[in-house]
Amino acid sequence: MNSIIEVKNFTKKYGDFTAVNDISFNVEEGTLFAFLGPNGAGKSTTINTLCTIFEKTSGTLIIDGKDVSTQKSEVRSTIGVVFQDSTLDTKMTIDENLKMHCVFYNIPQKEVEERIQFVLNLVDLLGERKKLVGALSGGMKRRVEIARGLIHYPKVLFLDEPTTGLDPQTRAHIWEYIVKLQKERNITIFLTTHYMEEAEICNKIAIMDGGIIVAHDTPYNLKKEYTKDKAYITTENGPELEQLLTQYELKYIKKDGYYKVDAENISPLLQVLSLQKEAITDIEIKKGTFNDVFLEITGKKIREES
Amino acid sequence: MNTVLALWIRGLKAFIRNRTGLIFSLIFPFFFVYVFGAIFKNDFIENPIAYMLSGVIITTVFESSLNLASSTVDDMVSGFMKEVLVSPAKRIAVAMGQLLSAATVATIQGILILIIGLFIGIKFTTWTTPIFILFAMVFVGLAFSGVGLFLATIVRSGQTFQIVKTAITMPLTFVSGAYIPISMLPDALKYVAYINPMTYATAFFRMVVLEKTNLSTAELVKQGLAIDINGFIVTPIMSFAIIVAIGLLFLILATNSFVKTDFSRVNRSSSDASALWG
Repeated sequence: MNSIIEVKNFTKKYGDFTAVNDISFNVEEGTLFAFLGPNGAGKSTTINTLCTIFEKTSGTLIIDGKDVSTQKSEVRSTIGVVFQDSTLDTKMTIDENLKMHCVFYNIPQKEVEERIQFVLNLVDLLGERKKLVGALSGGMKRRVEIARGLIHYPKVLFLDEPTTGLDPQTRAHIWEYIVKLQKERNITIFLTTHYMEEAEICNKIAIMDGGIIVAHDTPYNLKKEYTKDKAYITTENGPELEQLLTQYELKYIKKDGYYKVDAENISPLLQVLSLQKEAITDIEIKKGTFNDVFLEITGKKIREES
Repeated sequence: MNTVLALWIRGLKAFIRNRTGLIFSLIFPFFFVYVFGAIFKNDFIENPIAYMLSGVIITTVFESSLNLASSTVDDMVSGFMKEVLVSPAKRIAVAMGQLLSAATVATIQGILILIIGLFIGIKFTTWTTPIFILFAMVFVGLAFSGVGLFLATIVRSGQTFQIVKTAITMPLTFVSGAYIPISMLPDALKYVAYINPMTYATAFFRMVVLEKTNLSTAELVKQGLAIDINGFIVTPIMSFAIIVAIGLLFLILATNSFVKTDFSRVNRSSSDASALWG
């Protein structure tokens, strides 16, 4: 597949502080790409540089064959951006916001109405188009922004934490729209998020920490590499279980009332379980979560804050 | 050009939708006319109501056009300017649209007061006067929109901006001769008036409204239409030239600064007053 975003040796410094240190990555066309990292990892700096807002210190950043630093205007026409904070004109209606956007992006007048209907339909807001943006709920505003970000038919849509601060139901809806978009319009979506379960839907994930990319792979591979399934066993005969686990070389941690056992290797575990079936009262196997991946890689808990 | 037009219309729409603001912007000037008109019922001003009205009109144009600073800061805080920033729209066109809409709104507000003024004391003897008035309002509106836009581009935080703006504009209007004749000011404030661009806008505009174009220089000074800086007389024509010069200077500064400004910089949560100006 074609790489639509190519970043090579990108570095960004603020005085003596290096926010992004020599990172390189590609994003393939038509994919959903997630950028994760703790606060201050450099992901906002990277996304803002890709969106032509910040100037790079060194390196090359290419979007759809256009250089982000020297072909700003062309890049801006190619991308749609939905920022973390609303950038809507709150004193105007949804309709007026979209029309203003069409003016900024030089959309031919005769296509404007058709496009507005198309994007509003996509986010289920067609009936609300005459409403003032200031009077809308947070979730609706976000939907308007996504619609607006799409109206000039961008090849790449940047979503900076598109669901932060929204309730679970609205988040689920926003995700529906995002996935629908990616599938139907073959738009490349580049997003940052704090919600680990959201990152799992993406095709590729890059995790940034301390200004560098510490992991870049599919969610499946990352999980396989960085997480381990665990069995939570409750037994009436603790000493015997411990002895067997040691014998079969299974790592375990004794917790208050249960044992947390490494369940990567399923056959020795089954052996132990069958030998102890009289004593064991409860067993639960937990799959590794994406939070574990993140913790394993960055050693920090991602915080749910904007 | 399209962008300029769209932003111009946006500015007008915002003005029309803000009815409360509109009503207060009309009530406030007449309050001043009433109060100061009563105070300055003296012999050297022959028509105190018209004299006050002309000052109040130009002050309204001045304040309204300077408001571009607030509305642009609002646009930064609300994030709208960030949307502009990532769009391929030419920033110079955005600056032009903002300037023109602010100047237009300012002129409309001036005209509204002028129309009411026609019923309570302003009288024209020739049909050219309204045309000159209109031109004067547009020039003053554009000049101070430029100042407003320039202020907006150098501001750091939206929160305390309003307070600072009021703290600057209030004294400037009070020592411009618009309400209180400069000759009645204490000496120290006279010097403030001499370096205040509003002084010259007021003097020129008042001469146009009161139709005093034919007066001798001595008469103009006496009536406060020409400014006497320790013997150096600034005639209304010179006043006009000063406004045009200041206007051009700030239009260039503002446009230049606007094109370079990083709009993402204004921190919407910052309440640190020291971070306001940078």
